[in-house]
Formats: sequence, structure tokens, C-alpha cells
Amino acid sequence: MANRNGQNHASKPDDLSDLGARLDAAKSKHQIAPESKDDGSMLGLAWRMSTELVVSVMVGLGLGYGIDVIFGSKPWGILIGLCFGFAAGIMAVLRTSEQMDAQNAGVPLGDDMPDDEDE
Amino acid sequence: MASGPMEQFEIKEKAELFEIGGQAISWTNSAFWMVISAILIVGFFALTTKRKLIPGKMQSLGELSYEFIANMVKDTTGAEAMKFMPLVFTLFFFILAANLIGMNPYAFTTTSHIAVTAALAVFTICVVIVAGIWKNGLKWFKIFAPSGLPFIMYFIIIPIEIISFISRPITLAVRLFANMVAGHVMLKLFAIFAAFLAAKGGIVAVGAILPVLATTAIVALEFLIAGLQAFVFAILTCVYLNDVYHVDH
Repeated sequence: MANRNGQNHASKPDDLSDLGARLDAAKSKHQIAPESKDDGSMLGLAWRMSTELVVSVMVGLGLGYGIDVIFGSKPWGILIGLCFGFAAGIMAVLRTSEQMDAQNAGVPLGDDMPDDEDE
Repeated sequence: MASGPMEQFEIKEKAELFEIGGQAISWTNSAFWMVISAILIVGFFALTTKRKLIPGKMQSLGELSYEFIANMVKDTTGAEAMKFMPLVFTLFFFILAANLIGMNPYAFTTTSHIAVTAALAVFTICVVIVAGIWKNGLKWFKIFAPSGLPFIMYFIIIPIEIISFISRPITLAVRLFANMVAGHVMLKLFAIFAAFLAAKGGIVAVGAILPVLATTAIVALEFLIAGLQAFVFAILTCVYLNDVYHVDH
């Protein structure tokens, strides 16, 4: 519709400005669409962060326990492993949120992912 | 229908095929539905790629799904990672098909077994490790020790990096499996509750409408989760593929 009108009476200036206004309206409508799509991946990011945090702690605990079993250093492996696991979990979450920010800023990922900020 | 909520996840052996090292390899309902989902995906893309210049509805669906994954790989890892796009594409559509097939009554959700999801996740990480070493040589191990830190920091950073690397396949596997199991158990529980209330008869039977409504809502949520978990698996594969190309991050 907008196209045909524009083609038929393109010489009239008020028609052109009308077309421009409608194009702007259509464009502003389209800008909403990617935002609503973002909500789905937000849920995905939430899933990523929570599982990363929990699993990192578990892996740290497991590795610490393994070291305990191998070297017979009963409580210390688990304790230190738990601390490292927790640190790794926090770091994974920070990294994910870093990517989130990069995505929002339109910066390509992978080039700059500072990962030693939490220390 | 009044079976327990966990019965839907039971593996039923259909036929024993052969043995490898004392471990029987059998044809199960899980294997059957995995083959079905693979056939569906291959069939879908075989039918939708007629390669007309002006795509029809189905062809543009196929092309859109290609562009979706291609953009995901390009945006997340970079254009040089397009070599791995078939891997990400296959993973995404296999998981999506398996999840969606699992939503059908009487179908089996293959992704509700950690054996399946862990196999996918371990394979993905193995690809990252092998490709990383293939491309960067032993320098690839620098992902565990980012450069430019004070010497003492490496005692802290290296264990942390190793832990976060080990937790990657586990998070991939556990997230998909836990989501599928939790959703299906919840669905079954509400459905059983509705059947239980309806069987009571009288005024109590009217109350069955509430769990039926809840079941409907959960079905909608489960379709969202089915797509979302496939998406998360695929995009995390892309994120992990970063380690192949950006060692000195």
C-alpha cells in the first residue's frame, strides 16, 4: 500500500512526507521486535548462570574430594576445592554477564572477554 | 494413565543387537525415538531445499533456520568458526527435534536421559579440545593460564580455570536433562492429579478443572523450554568454540 502510493504520486511533497512518517512508524514498530526476542534468551542466560554456578561448586568439591582420596589429606582438599569451585562459579557467572553486556552494546564476542576481574 | 510420574522415562529394551566387552548393545525405545528425530530433521531439510530462486514458505523456513544458526555462530564466535556451523546446526536441530517429539503423547523424550545429553556434551567438549590442540598446538593450554598476570596469581587462576573447564560439559548435560525431566514430571503430576480428582466424582470432580488448566499452561511452558534448551545448548557450543580461536583471551 505504502509502496504503491509512493510510486504514483512521488512528485507531491506532502505525499512523500506522509510516506516518510509511515516509514518511521513502521521502523519504530520493528525496533520493538528484537527487544521482545531478547526476553527468551534472557531466560536462557538465567539458566546458564544458575547451572554454571552450581556445577562449578560441585566440580570443585569433587576434585577436592578426589585429591583427598589420593593423597589422604582428609579435610583440606575438600575445603580448598570448595573455595576454588565457588570462585570458578562466580567467575563463570561474571563471564556470562560480561557477554550479556557485550551483546547489548553490539560488540563482537570473544575478542575482549576480561576474565580476571574478580580477583 | 494412572501410572507413576517417573514411568515415562523407563528404557524399554526392544531387541538385543550385539555385545561389546560384555556390555549388551540393544535397540531400545530411546534409540527408536532418536532415529525418528534424525529422520524427521533430514526429511525436513531434504524436502525444504528445492533451491528455487524465489523461496516458497517451506523453503524459506529451511533457509531461515540455516541463517539463524549461521548468524549465531558468526556473532558468538566469529566468521572463522563457520567450519563448525554444521556441528552447531546438527546439535541444535537434533535437540530441538528430540525435545519436541517428547512433547507428543506416547512418545519418549530421549533428552530426558543424562546418558544422551552427556554424550552430546562430552562430544562437544572433545571437539573443542581436539580442534583447539589441532589449531594451536600445545599453546592451546594457555586458555588455562591467561597471560599478563602476576606470577603468584597463577596458583589461583589455573585451578579456577580448570574447574570451570571441567564444569562445562557437566553444565551442558545437566541443564538439558534436568529441564526435560522436571518439565515432564510436573506435567505428569498435574495430569495424574486431574485424573484422581475426576475419578472421585461429585463436587470434588469439579476441582479437576484447576489441574487441567495448570497442565495446559505447563504444556505451553514446556514448548518454550524445548526450544530454549536447544538454543542454549547451541549458543554455548559457540561460546566454547571461542577457545579454539581466541586462546589468548
